[in-house]
Amino acid sequence: MKYHLITLGCQMNLSDSERVSAVLEQMGYERTEKEEEATLLGMLACSVRQKPIDKVYNKIAQWNRAKNKRNLITFISGCILPADKEKFLKLFDLIFPMSELSQLPDMIRSYGVVNAASLQTPKPVMPKNEHIVDLWHIKPKYESTYEAFVPIQNGCDKFCTFCAVPYTRGREVSRPSEDILHEVEHLVSQGYKSITLLGQNVNSYGLDKNGEEISFADLLRQIGEYGKASGEEFWVYFTSPHPQDMGRDVIEVIAEYACLAKQIHLPMQSGDEKVLIKMNRRHSMDKYRKIVEDIRELIPQATLFTDIIVGFTGEGEAEFQNTVAAMHEFQFNMAYIAMYSPRPGAASYRWQDEVSQDVKKDRFHRLSEVMKTHTRQYNEQLVGKTLRLLINGTDRKTGFSTGLTEGKLNVRLDRKAPDLKGKIVDVTITSAADFSLSGELVLTEEQVES
Amino acid sequence: MSFLDEIITFAAQNRDAMSIEVMQAIKIDESFYKVKEVRRLTDETFSLRLPKSRFTFKAGQHISLGIQGDYQSREYSIYSGENDEHLEVLVKEVKEGYFSPKLSHLKPGDLVEVNGPFGKFRIDEKKINDHKFVFIASGTGIAPFRSMVRTYPELDYQIIHGVRYGNEAYDKEEYDAERHILCTTGDKTGQVHGRLTKYLKKTKFEKNTQFYLCGNSNMIFDALELLKNKGFDRDQIHCEVYF
Repeated sequence: MKYHLITLGCQMNLSDSERVSAVLEQMGYERTEKEEEATLLGMLACSVRQKPIDKVYNKIAQWNRAKNKRNLITFISGCILPADKEKFLKLFDLIFPMSELSQLPDMIRSYGVVNAASLQTPKPVMPKNEHIVDLWHIKPKYESTYEAFVPIQNGCDKFCTFCAVPYTRGREVSRPSEDILHEVEHLVSQGYKSITLLGQNVNSYGLDKNGEEISFADLLRQIGEYGKASGEEFWVYFTSPHPQDMGRDVIEVIAEYACLAKQIHLPMQSGDEKVLIKMNRRHSMDKYRKIVEDIRELIPQATLFTDIIVGFTGEGEAEFQNTVAAMHEFQFNMAYIAMYSPRPGAASYRWQDEVSQDVKKDRFHRLSEVMKTHTRQYNEQLVGKTLRLLINGTDRKTGFSTGLTEGKLNVRLDRKAPDLKGKIVDVTITSAADFSLSGELVLTEEQVES
Repeated sequence: MSFLDEIITFAAQNRDAMSIEVMQAIKIDESFYKVKEVRRLTDETFSLRLPKSRFTFKAGQHISLGIQGDYQSREYSIYSGENDEHLEVLVKEVKEGYFSPKLSHLKPGDLVEVNGPFGKFRIDEKKINDHKFVFIASGTGIAPFRSMVRTYPELDYQIIHGVRYGNEAYDKEEYDAERHILCTTGDKTGQVHGRLTKYLKKTKFEKNTQFYLCGNSNMIFDALELLKNKGFDRDQIHCEVYF
């Protein structure tokens, strides 16, 4: 009895897929990467972009053809717009929101059995999130032994005009802090070194509970206290925060505790006040600037990452130049730059996409060049310094180990070293490039002897 | 109507009489509301009144509204006050639009799905006693300001409302006449003939003013720029864009 699972989209879907695997394996299913071996085929979809949705349609067409040759059950869940859900109802055998994952075994067992419930056609409604807590009670089957994602919140109430997430994942719901702490403690006790707290707006954590849950800053503080008491070395990240709810208290807590990673991902989206308004980001550049000033003051060693969209509706050259100026001002260590594309379900999908693809590409390249000058400069001043590095892979060309610093900078080791995957080691930086560093492993006496 | 629809309708009609526990126990979706009234304000604009029931919000916040059986939803600022007996939104029908024409065809008794409230576009209550409040709205952007005025009777406010024609001064009689400045571009029925920015340019505001801007993005851009040029800090200017 084998299953094959395809996960599309963001880290939140990856985290959800670990819980889907856990449920299926509890039923006795065994995971296979070969579709043709599986009798249960599933997908975690992402309606936020068109490409992954196209992939769903291609894949289900193949799977439905394969049904002519063998018995199969297909299912779909994940981040799905109500309009897509309506279409998927006709294509997949089972469709369910992640909040109903715990009922998947019953759905599979009763599939094909005609009863009153199976004859009822579900009606598409706005996604509901009240029962998402049931999902979080499922212990995930972690894909890695040293890096894990811990959901702390699901849904989004921000309604940015370029984004469809509020319509796919529903309202913001915070996971109980006690559960989060237990999962973090469990992971640390199992030797995990990198833990990322996940949510669409992590720093709105707790706000939906009207005072009955702790704030995001207090959640970080409790994790920090646990980290201090445990004596273990591990790094806790979070993604993504929204500048609207990012207070100085969060930054103060990060500064205080060693286990809270000194890396902050703070999406800016645009450096132009008017474009931010058009995006319905609900914060000003002054507010963004104040957060960055607080980070620089309280955690000067922190690396700063961001997300930027170029070519959004209403972004002329003057507005784009404000983003260029912001890039110079904030000197990000990494900016994930995206060319705007209207996403079905998002409010901006109803507007004319007025910036041509050529102009978007041009702005993308110009902004990338600006970013490079700052990342290069930052990376070069690290040469000669010794940094802690979490080894997480192998360079395809050289075969030498690669890893990430606490600030999530990529480092390639410049010579062969013992296999230390999943370990945090000292590395002396030997050279710098635009987006990566090279380094030499500093061997401990123990490692030298072995 | 299916049995499920009947249950939802029954629950929506009797929500005041049913406890949350009872609704949850029989798995009735608490977010369905029965339309009480569609109140026509102009040919294109109407307000949708729902029972307020247990719904709580802060003046200035918005809700997400869906129609039973439809897969789309839209966000609308709440038009009623926090203590009013109904929950009300102000809607301008976009003839070629998908959603607002459907809303305009709703009748008393039809079901809508309400989620929320959302947003932080609201009055800082600590500032009520020692600040002036200037509300700048275009079109139906006046909705959150009516909610604020109805909620805080003690507010020292002024509304500057930009519309095309005088009949779009929705529920104008509810505001103190000296606090409501109507700017009309299509006729001369307002105190100001022209865009509201014309009024903003020539008007002097006190330093301790909190500005709230709501409406289409072009109005917000222009008003924001004007106020910044007049020397007001960005954190005195609160924006809610309609899209």
